[in-house]
Amino acid sequence: MCGIAALFAYGTRAPRVDDGEIEAITERMRPRGPDAGGIWNSPDARVALGARRLAIIDLTDEGTQPMTDVDGDLRIVFNGEIYNHRDLRARLQRLGARFHSATDTEVLLQLYRHDGPSMVELLRGMFAFAIWDPRLRRMFVARDPYGIKPLYISDDGQTFRAASTVKALLAGGRIARTHDPAGVAGFWLMGSVPEPHTIFQAIRSVGAGTSFFVDERGIHNTRRYFTIADTLVRGVRDEPAANLVDPHVLVRELVTDSLRHHLISDVPVGAFLSSGIDSSALVALATEATNQPPPTVTLRFEEFRGRNFDEAPLADRFARLIGSDHVSRLVTRDEFLTDLPKLFDAMDQPSIDGSNTWFVSKAAAERGLKVAISGLGGDELFGSYPSFRDLPRIVNAMRVPLAASAASHIARNPKAKALALYGRSWAGAYLLKRALFLPDDLPSLMGADAAEEGLKRLSMIAHIAAAIQPDPGSAFGRVAALEASLYMRNQLLRDTDWASMAHSLEVRTPLVDATLLRQIAPLLLVEQQRCKQHFANSPREPLPEWLSARRKTGFTVPLAEWMHLPADGTSTRMRSWARVVMDRWS
Amino acid sequence: MRILHLGTDSFGGYGGIALYNRELIAAMASHPAVDEVVVVPRIVVGAMEPLPKNVTFIRSAARGRLAYLNVLRGLPRPFDLVICAHVNLLPLARMITKYPLLMIYGIEAWKRLRDPLSNRLVRSVGAVVSISDITLRRFLGWSGYTGSTHLLPNSIRAEWYGIRPRNRELMARYRLEGKRVLMTLGRVVAAERYKGFDEVLDILPALDDDVSYVIAGGGNDVHRLQRRAAALGVADRVAFTGLFPEQEKADLYNLADLYVMPSRGEGFGFVFLEAMACGVPVIASCLDGGREAVRQGALGPLVDPTSTAEIRCAITDALAAGGGKRIPEGLEFFSFENFERRTHAIIDSQI
Repeated sequence: MCGIAALFAYGTRAPRVDDGEIEAITERMRPRGPDAGGIWNSPDARVALGARRLAIIDLTDEGTQPMTDVDGDLRIVFNGEIYNHRDLRARLQRLGARFHSATDTEVLLQLYRHDGPSMVELLRGMFAFAIWDPRLRRMFVARDPYGIKPLYISDDGQTFRAASTVKALLAGGRIARTHDPAGVAGFWLMGSVPEPHTIFQAIRSVGAGTSFFVDERGIHNTRRYFTIADTLVRGVRDEPAANLVDPHVLVRELVTDSLRHHLISDVPVGAFLSSGIDSSALVALATEATNQPPPTVTLRFEEFRGRNFDEAPLADRFARLIGSDHVSRLVTRDEFLTDLPKLFDAMDQPSIDGSNTWFVSKAAAERGLKVAISGLGGDELFGSYPSFRDLPRIVNAMRVPLAASAASHIARNPKAKALALYGRSWAGAYLLKRALFLPDDLPSLMGADAAEEGLKRLSMIAHIAAAIQPDPGSAFGRVAALEASLYMRNQLLRDTDWASMAHSLEVRTPLVDATLLRQIAPLLLVEQQRCKQHFANSPREPLPEWLSARRKTGFTVPLAEWMHLPADGTSTRMRSWARVVMDRWS
Repeated sequence: MRILHLGTDSFGGYGGIALYNRELIAAMASHPAVDEVVVVPRIVVGAMEPLPKNVTFIRSAARGRLAYLNVLRGLPRPFDLVICAHVNLLPLARMITKYPLLMIYGIEAWKRLRDPLSNRLVRSVGAVVSISDITLRRFLGWSGYTGSTHLLPNSIRAEWYGIRPRNRELMARYRLEGKRVLMTLGRVVAAERYKGFDEVLDILPALDDDVSYVIAGGGNDVHRLQRRAAALGVADRVAFTGLFPEQEKADLYNLADLYVMPSRGEGFGFVFLEAMACGVPVIASCLDGGREAVRQGALGPLVDPTSTAEIRCAITDALAAGGGKRIPEGLEFFSFENFERRTHAIIDSQI
């Protein structure tokens, strides 16, 4: 896990890359990689690579980046983890490859040499990397299938720039800070900035599951090698295979396999534990896989004491049951207010979420952990968000003649009134379900002209609809693709990245794994929402009923109480918090 | 010692389970402490193979359900060990003994049974013998059984196979002259699409033009696969053998440069042993019993059958290696002698 940077002055009119720029970009990412750092400049000063390293696999100096292969030819900067690197290494060695380290980074170099750009389809893990190939004078850039690891780029037609964070790219001092109305509009609509937009016009996110080359022509050969919708469509074809095995047995087998891969590490791996099924079942399965419970961490808030939001009592009880070395970390308003400036500094782009991950990562780091597993992604995978129930109802209801216009006349709630406008399509219904503000609210939040331009460039409905192309073919499949491609990617994964890396903690998400999705998709499409219960029953000792039957709550912190947020028509007062975020984020 | 073997088919039967049962019965009969193995089959369809000594084969039981029950009622008892060689026969086995030894092979034991009585009975069998670890773990996952367990993987009689020159007649029949040949062998039926024929077909267009694919076996899914091959533009590179005589099998395997079966429903994958016994390199699945047939990758690479990229790379790597035919070291792990030794150890544990 690292922060990476790459500069490539590919255009004939591009000035040489500046040492100061790559140093400034890399230095801005120091918390992401406190163990080591490095910079490499090409002899002709057209290419520069930079990296900060958090050492997880092969703790020796051999793992330092930028790294070159044994031939001293290719160079790489890589952020993430390749969980199947040992299998890939064995295959490459059979094919004659030589290695000088035990790192997954070097495996990427040899894999590129052997398989070229199709290498990305063989990787199991979370990653963003850039490989400089001096013989062909081109850079190969790729990001993992789900978009767990971030990668941002800027291309002015002469120089290509890439870095793990938006703020690092800006720290280089060569990119204009002009806000992108589309990114701003996206934040107001969804509470996070939708990819590929960022809050700045000159910076874009590399798409999840995407690779491309940069050479003297600029960016080209962009290839989307993975989408969630594609994977679910393929899963439909394989549904008969899912029926061969008892569902909870298959869930156990496939999730345990993912877990085993995610537990590969040369440092201890801990776990976030809430009182929900996902983190509890993961901790139980990890305990079975390693014969030892991982150290666990839960957050506790006085403001939630005695309320359903309070996850600490049940998490503590489950930790006792499983025998984990457990910490229930109290977070107070004073600590929150003290941390707030640092939190906003670490927040790479405006987001209404992330405070929860900030504190649980802080608590894990205080315990000396460098790696923690999280149950993130379980709701998207196993269909346990209310949207899996609500979206089909909305779409089906609004397709009844006159239902839409009746709803808009009768309803008082703005979202209900908007049903007629949006509710007939899956994309529109999803926007309604997840929207923080509606498009009509935006002129008052960001100005009429900016709102108009932002909404036009954002094309939110088309953007959402793209997540279900090709059509997964069922309501469950559509909602699963929408939630994982949009909310999880733009909000949960991005927030987890900045909030954990600020504490030099690597968060691993065994339920957000392209291999797992491919393998389990047929079962998901057969069992649908029942999969969550199968997951709860998947450990040898199924989760106790006092835990698995608990009413679902989000992983949240008492922001409304701490910030004395004014009422805003939402139970969580997230609209008020969004205004605070936009005001204080910089 | 007297052993009763209640099975679906064995002598005079076709297919993998029949073969496995024949080997099991022969191995049991050779145990020094065993005086008689009484075999009660449900099905006898073909010519009978020679019976090992000490084996009493009650062919009349295969005439129908009533005949089977009558034979069971009239069997002279007692038996020291009752082998229930199919989970569906468990209620009948329980008529003979309270603690039968249950044999499990594959998908029949991967999920809860339709019969609620059998679901209860599996919890209290005397022991479970599984053909593979994956079948055993999947069985334990749903059954609630907590007693003793044993693994007894298939055996292969290397002398029945061997590396042979390619059969000219078969080469001409399937238009394989000058081709590098991939092969998958199995029943080509809709209910067994998990064998991975589709996955290999999908990759064929990305492979060199001189690579052909032989789908060896017949069944009701052949026409669909033929249409799929045509749609992919590779119809002239795919040969369907249809049902073939058993005596052609070794020659068929010997046509192949690579045996590929990215499957998801194999309890073990005996075909891998057959292919390896013919010196053909194999690629197996990491998601079913195939991985045990190649001893977790030691005898041949494993691929995730859901990953087109992994299958494609494994095929291109193997074809590029071009190592020729070679019976891999380690295949003797599955020799009949080792099978017999394991069988005897299981019998010893039950005495």
